[in-house]
Amino acid sequence: MNRREFIYSVGMSGMSIPFLNAAPSAALAPGSKAKSVINIFLSGGLSQYDSFNVEVDKDVLGKSAILKSNVDGIRVSNYFPTLAKQMDKLLVINAMQTNQGAHPAGIYKMLTSYNPRSSVTHPELGAWINKALTREQDSLPNFVSIGNGRSGTAGFLSGQWAALPVRKPNAGIDFANRHKAVSAETLDQRLDILASLNKDFDKDHGTKDTQSYQDSYKGSLKFMNSKDIDAFELKKESEKIVKLYDGQEFSRSCLLAGRLVERGVRYVKVNLGGWDYHDALYDKFPQNASRLDKGLASLLEHLSQKGLLDSTLVVVSTEFGRKPLVNPNKGRDHHPDGFTCLMAGAGVKAGEIYGSTSKDGKKAEKDILDVTDFNATIAWRLGIDPNLEEKSPTGRPFKLANRGKARKTLFS
Amino acid sequence: MKIPFIIFLLILSVTASVVADPRAHAREVDQIMATELKKLGQEARPQIDDYTFCRRLYLDAIGRIPTLDELDQFIADKRADKRARLIDNLLNSKGYNSHWYNYWADLLRVKYVGDKLHHPGNYAEWVKESVRTNKPYNKIAYELINANGKLYKPGNGATGFYAREPMALDHLANSVKTFLGMSIECAQCHDHPFDDWTQLDFYKLAAFTSKTYLRVDPLPADEKEKFAKDRKILKNKSFDEWIVYRESLRVKHASIYGNGTGYSRLPHDYEYNDGEPHEVMEADVLFGSMPVIHYKMPKDKVEKLNKKQFGPQINSRKSLANWMTSRENPMFTKATVNRLWYRIMGTELVGPIGGLDLESTGDHPALTEKLVEIMKVTDYDIKAFLTVLFNSQAYQSKALALKATPPAYVLDGPIVRRLPAEVIVDSILSLRTKDPDASVATKFRWDGFTHFYDKSRNMTVKNFVDYSIASPGRAKFQMREEKEAKERNRDLGPKSLWRASTYTHNDGQHLASILMGQSTRDLIDSANTQPDIPQILYLMNGHLEGHVIRDPKAYLNQKIRHEKDRAKRMEMIWKAVLGRLPKPSERALFKHKQADVMWALLNSNEFKFVR
Repeated sequence: MNRREFIYSVGMSGMSIPFLNAAPSAALAPGSKAKSVINIFLSGGLSQYDSFNVEVDKDVLGKSAILKSNVDGIRVSNYFPTLAKQMDKLLVINAMQTNQGAHPAGIYKMLTSYNPRSSVTHPELGAWINKALTREQDSLPNFVSIGNGRSGTAGFLSGQWAALPVRKPNAGIDFANRHKAVSAETLDQRLDILASLNKDFDKDHGTKDTQSYQDSYKGSLKFMNSKDIDAFELKKESEKIVKLYDGQEFSRSCLLAGRLVERGVRYVKVNLGGWDYHDALYDKFPQNASRLDKGLASLLEHLSQKGLLDSTLVVVSTEFGRKPLVNPNKGRDHHPDGFTCLMAGAGVKAGEIYGSTSKDGKKAEKDILDVTDFNATIAWRLGIDPNLEEKSPTGRPFKLANRGKARKTLFS
Repeated sequence: MKIPFIIFLLILSVTASVVADPRAHAREVDQIMATELKKLGQEARPQIDDYTFCRRLYLDAIGRIPTLDELDQFIADKRADKRARLIDNLLNSKGYNSHWYNYWADLLRVKYVGDKLHHPGNYAEWVKESVRTNKPYNKIAYELINANGKLYKPGNGATGFYAREPMALDHLANSVKTFLGMSIECAQCHDHPFDDWTQLDFYKLAAFTSKTYLRVDPLPADEKEKFAKDRKILKNKSFDEWIVYRESLRVKHASIYGNGTGYSRLPHDYEYNDGEPHEVMEADVLFGSMPVIHYKMPKDKVEKLNKKQFGPQINSRKSLANWMTSRENPMFTKATVNRLWYRIMGTELVGPIGGLDLESTGDHPALTEKLVEIMKVTDYDIKAFLTVLFNSQAYQSKALALKATPPAYVLDGPIVRRLPAEVIVDSILSLRTKDPDASVATKFRWDGFTHFYDKSRNMTVKNFVDYSIASPGRAKFQMREEKEAKERNRDLGPKSLWRASTYTHNDGQHLASILMGQSTRDLIDSANTQPDIPQILYLMNGHLEGHVIRDPKAYLNQKIRHEKDRAKRMEMIWKAVLGRLPKPSERALFKHKQADVMWALLNSNEFKFVR
């Protein structure tokens, strides 16, 4: 059997390849306005008072100064000069709330809607969405996680719904290309030998697991040869788009995310960590803030130019915020009650602020949004019922957004 | 009762002789199976040849394929009892320590869990030491359930079992799943929907361990008297100094305290009719006989205490450990035997390893009973039990490929299944080096935490303060301790030639193991053996090319380099990778390039599956 046959004789049943083991094509549910989500996840805990929640008492702001934005009534900190010119594209959500105050548990809660338990691992939102929206004809996986950070677990769902990890945006998917010492002809030869070995082994030892492996090789080859795999190659992007971005790794990750949603990938998580500034915040924060400022601004411009912002929900989230009081070490400690997330695109009420904290910055006060409601809202906007239920292997039922409810008023 | 010394000796020698003859037990097992097969009119499976046996035993006993030398040596051995000899040799080799550490560490979830400073090094070392010394399994379980005291004190790593999961009720549910093979976690929050356990049962069991807790800082009085003032000064002076002070104190003081009060209280939202919210519950077991507990305070007095009070500590946790690991506990031995059977044979002897119930004895109760008996006779000696299994005809018979319609009886030997993640990567290692087990430690390995604990044995408060002031911050403090620890340890050789078990959390991730489905150790037994795209891409296009196929230094390539005859070279490749000679039909593949054949063999299902 040559490679061509290998690729095209792919069976559709019992395969462990996300996009080859999916429901047949179905129209998006009525009412859905987003086709894809890009989730920029700021692990470590973004300081809301040094970024997008500046309408608080002056002493809460620490050393941060205030900038006017291109929207009347919206102001941001001086560390986000580029985004200040694009606030008309963003909804600022200022009264986020979580029940977790430590990083691992907080990240887990934000990404899965559940408290961590030691009897079960819950799927990340991206995995729920991957499973709910993947269709037979999709040639790319629908959950991709870019950068270092939590890799995007499928939890108790089958592993096929976990994120495809891309550690370095410039390098693309690990091992997706032939080894440099192996020519296409050589790979064909090798696959021929492999096919003959596996066929022989199957006679006496074939099980559904050995079959699953053979299918997975076929699926992986299909993936390697897919016309869409160049979505992962940034050098294929047009110069016009590339020059919207600077060369920083996070910006390159955003560029990749934009390319992926253009090809129809449903959920892309971009990790940007390092926000846990318990000390010397004003020495360390500006550099990271600048990464976010430039990368996100470029991404919004990219999506706008491509006409994708109407169908892509861009979400900036973090596990919790920072305390209003700057501590003696000039840092801020963890603060789960009243932190800030952002949304853009897909009909969100851009150029507005939703919710507020008390002026002393101590607590979420008006239009409080729990992290489970936040996740429910994302799912709902994609046309997925936040109450969608799946059972763990032991038969325990779990809902996509736990008890969260979609906050439909965030959209116009 | 005093036993006369001579009778005592007699008992000892009887026990010893039983333990010393695992092959007799193996025959008993074979007999029971033969009877069952005869009853069902099912034919016995054919026995396997020496090649198949050698590969299978290496994989199951020490977690990797045999090297070319090891295979040749076994095949050349002409002694009649060479299989039994190989079993004994492998079970007493370093490879065994590596392979079975991976297994128990998955079950016991040896993992870095950050928040509470839980560094798994000392815990991992405790598990390794238990494997190295072949500590009886009931003793392992007892020590884990009952662990107390300092987390980072060398030798006291059993405390990691509690420290990695200090939420009391979750910990209890997981202990029951780990050692009794039962799933009772639902009853934590509501009556179990399909089993008999009620929430009341759960809280009665929880009473044994109540008020066991992890505390990372010095005890409150100690803290206030000795450390509070310095902490405050340092906190206001410098973050770096304060945090080193905090961390170094924690490494020294982090402990598991409390050993159970024998009382618990129902939760504030208890909704059933058999109890009231906050009602005090006396400890009781789920089944079997209740150990005697000597209470210091009667129940009615505890009820009058504040709702958060559970009465004085009375070491009821020890009673729980006794009950759980008792020979008379109807689940402990059964769950252990079921677990080891599943590991070696791939089938369920009694039921799912984490989902057993009280009554079940599996498809073949007589076999279960016999194996339970053997486990007890050998005094929970894991190596002795494995010796019985490995010497059985069942183990040495043809592996069954389970299809949609399996034969009536499937317990008469192993099934075809994918190898565990670490076994695949360690098998690849066996093609790269003459001694794949070189990195496996033979004694306690220090890390930054145990090293600092040891170092600080005689440190005064002032020493801690001075140490913090002289330290360049948390990260560098930790790095320095790790560096010093490393200098205390034996050199483990180049990291690229380590077995997967040698990696600690300080050594970074073992990418290949992760891709193959290594357990994240968040949950019990959560390794997976399914393919996915990143894994297959790695096998097709990844490191095999540079690490094995094209690396002239790879042991396999060194071995075949001197062989002039092409067919003989190919034979060596087949033996090295698949552990067998090429079939006549496969000789047609000899015409291909050596590198291409190696790639195909390494990517084949046969390489990834045990047969």
